[in-house]
Amino acid sequence: MPGALREKLSAAVGPANVLTGIELSPYVVEGRTPDAAVFPGSIDEVAAVVGLAANEGVPVTPWGGGAAASVGMPAARAGLVLGLRRMSRLLEHEPADLTATVEAGMTMGAFQAALGGRGQWMSLDPADADRATVGGVLATNAFGPRRHLYGAARDLLIGVTVVTADGAVVRGGGKVVKNVAGYDLPKLFVGSYGTLGVIVEATVKLRPLPDHEQLQAVRFERLKDTGVAVKAIMGSDLIPSAIELLDAAAASSAGLAADTPAGGAVLVVGFDGPREQVAWQCAELARILVPLGGQQTRTLEAEAWSRLAAAPGTARPATAAVMTFSVVPSLVAETMDRGAGIARARGLHSAWAAHAGVGAVRAVLASDAAPHEPAAIATVLGEWREMARAGGGHATLAWAPLAVKSRIPVWDDPGAAGRIMQRIKSQLDPGNILNPGRFIAGI
Amino acid sequence: MATLTDSRKRELRRELETIVGPDAVLSDPDELLVYESDGLTLFRALADFVVFPTSTEHVSAVVKLANRERLPFVARGAGTGLSGGCLPAEGGVVISLMRMNRVLEVDYDNQLAVVEPGLVNLHLSWKVGPRGYYYAPDPSSQQACTIGGNIANNSGGPHTLKYGVTTNHVLGLQVVMPDGEIVWLGGRTRDAQGYDLAGVFVGSEGTFGIATKIVVRILKKPQAVKTVLAVFDQIDRASAAVSAVIARGLVPAAMEMIDHLTIQAVEDAFNCGYPRDADAALLIELDGLAVGMEGQLERIVEACRDAGARETRTAKSESERQLLWKGRKSAFGAYGRVSPAYMVMDGVIPRTKLPYVLSRVNEIVAAHGLRVGNVFHAGDGNLHPNILYDPRKPGEEERVVAAGAEIMKVCAEVGGSISGEHGIGLEKSDFMPFIFSAADLTLMQRLKNAFNPTGLCNPGKIFPTKKSCVEVGPVAYRPHAIEEKGLAQRF
Repeated sequence: MPGALREKLSAAVGPANVLTGIELSPYVVEGRTPDAAVFPGSIDEVAAVVGLAANEGVPVTPWGGGAAASVGMPAARAGLVLGLRRMSRLLEHEPADLTATVEAGMTMGAFQAALGGRGQWMSLDPADADRATVGGVLATNAFGPRRHLYGAARDLLIGVTVVTADGAVVRGGGKVVKNVAGYDLPKLFVGSYGTLGVIVEATVKLRPLPDHEQLQAVRFERLKDTGVAVKAIMGSDLIPSAIELLDAAAASSAGLAADTPAGGAVLVVGFDGPREQVAWQCAELARILVPLGGQQTRTLEAEAWSRLAAAPGTARPATAAVMTFSVVPSLVAETMDRGAGIARARGLHSAWAAHAGVGAVRAVLASDAAPHEPAAIATVLGEWREMARAGGGHATLAWAPLAVKSRIPVWDDPGAAGRIMQRIKSQLDPGNILNPGRFIAGI
Repeated sequence: MATLTDSRKRELRRELETIVGPDAVLSDPDELLVYESDGLTLFRALADFVVFPTSTEHVSAVVKLANRERLPFVARGAGTGLSGGCLPAEGGVVISLMRMNRVLEVDYDNQLAVVEPGLVNLHLSWKVGPRGYYYAPDPSSQQACTIGGNIANNSGGPHTLKYGVTTNHVLGLQVVMPDGEIVWLGGRTRDAQGYDLAGVFVGSEGTFGIATKIVVRILKKPQAVKTVLAVFDQIDRASAAVSAVIARGLVPAAMEMIDHLTIQAVEDAFNCGYPRDADAALLIELDGLAVGMEGQLERIVEACRDAGARETRTAKSESERQLLWKGRKSAFGAYGRVSPAYMVMDGVIPRTKLPYVLSRVNEIVAAHGLRVGNVFHAGDGNLHPNILYDPRKPGEEERVVAAGAEIMKVCAEVGGSISGEHGIGLEKSDFMPFIFSAADLTLMQRLKNAFNPTGLCNPGKIFPTKKSCVEVGPVAYRPHAIEEKGLAQRF
């Protein structure tokens, strides 16, 4: 990095907020060290930093809590990490409007705690809430079990402020829950992985905290039987807040049902609302599932929610890769069952968990051999991806060592839509400085 | 834009006929008149051609032809829009999708349907109703408006308070891009790869291309529904009740406000049983599980009473429920009986600003010597002031337009928006700077360039621009054809 740029950055945000050298170790991704990490304290400072980087053609990586820092290809060129941690205030919360405006660097955990103090929440429950920031969760479209009933970030974000690649401050959407004025810019930025702009503020829809909440876990002898069970729940009068499906390996690593037999599965269903509605639904759930092979229904503690959000986790010491799938709900159980078979056939282990009602599946691939053989890992991941594609879905390599990422693309081929994405990228970031090369279609 | 010569027109007509068939092209000025406006009859503009494709390939071929000839083109559904969004503002080709109206597939296991854009909104719920499902977005014109039009405008409706608007129910779209390329944005799964192009396309008012197949979610019908009418002697108390219900942690399926003038008009016309002397009424609907429904209803009634409701009436049967909703849904027909014309406004405000903004609306309209009736989605803060006027009185229509602009300014000032569901179209393009900065609009323009670089796809909409090619000014109000047939309400 040119010394002149460093001086200008220091002038823009204060010398204490520009890290270099050894202080950069928390920001090393895939063994690559950024030139500097810069921590602006206001929107104007973010705009100044991006403007300076744009002038020099230096890449910028927006950084919240770093929870998703290793998703995607690492930056082709070193550049600036733009950290949002100093921008972590709750700016507005009007309970009667069911909306709140928050700075992007606030952690989800702190945000939910502040809202919860007034009986409300943002109905999004991704893993790692104490680390993941609101901006990062939006930029990566992170979600958790309750997406089943309450939707994803795209359904909750009603207004967004971003700093674009030219250092301009742009606001999209607004502060009202219903709004069709102009293009839906919040949708553009959700899941854009920091490639189109730096999210600095967000206005989201809120919901009242439910009176009561309960998680029911039901064991099945065979994973493949759970497809029918999920379908029966979805076709019933039940209004679950979550339908989680874990194979035996995932259930065990999440500490949910260690006694699940190999080849078996645990179905975890959440309900919320007035106590009598929750009670009625729990009873109805058992009535539906027992004839379909459901066994040993039991109630889980509330802390199981966060373990479900993280399942199947990456804690296994032998983890070689994590892949996420988006498939139609009717193919979830089959995807998990067949995917585990594909791994076994190659002598590898896998653990599978799904937000079954929305078709979001996560798999951890592991091997006993150390070091992992990247070619074998990549082969299984490629077969998994083909399996998802055959069912009309797609797969993303959520985590893997660079040696694996260089053998199998992180992102699936988006087809003709990829060209539109490239055109959007070149319109909004013609100098290609925002997270260059990290995202889909070479973006 | 150059005007086509008669001979060139005849040649192009023949070419269009070879694409869509001889019975699927209009070019006679008399026939084109039907397509000169949408539900907002203030704006009129004539196309050179109207075509009726029956396949995605037809649409693509027509779009390619239009590109070759540098002719602007615009997609059109039922024409029930209320912002002039589907007008051929600069001549060219109107692509009517009314013959592409099939339900292509229903996948009950995955709770989705694949439909063509010309399908009437309500017909999808009819199709999936016997299996216990429905399509949630319910614009009040749902008996006539099409799903494709709903996509363009990201349409809402009374029940969007709980269930969200169109974009929350769309999974994927097959789109004919403005250059004629056929592309899928999103698909059948909940998440697409990369940017959320389907999410960006919905609500783009026909400027990003033409959707030819649409994958939407269908929902299970709720086990139980309860509807209550809360009656107030002061409209401010009704506004307070809206916030009170929300503050108690309740999210009804719908929460609609009907003001005094509207109650009078509705009772004169249809006798729905609303108390004539009320200053305002709230129509509140709860849906969900049968168990516990009574308890939730009690909490809502209590919140209304505490806010000052003088009376609450709960529908005891489906027919009573339908009668309560008739009062809400027939408001437009009723205005027609008390005023020669009316213009519907559409703005959104934070719910908590309702009392202030409603009083400002009344002041503004009164200052212009006009009357206003309010009937709107109070739970969402989505206002619909309806300004009553007589187009035969010189200058009155101009005063309506001026009052409308002032109302939009008030919505913007309190942190709201200039449209909740009708869109910007031609009507409000000059109001965009009320809520968006030059930088905001520049980004939107860049996004448009990525989809529609030539600008031929639905030109002249959304962005502030001179309305040079469109007839604007005092034109007598004419009901839209579908209103005359009693097929639809306006919002």
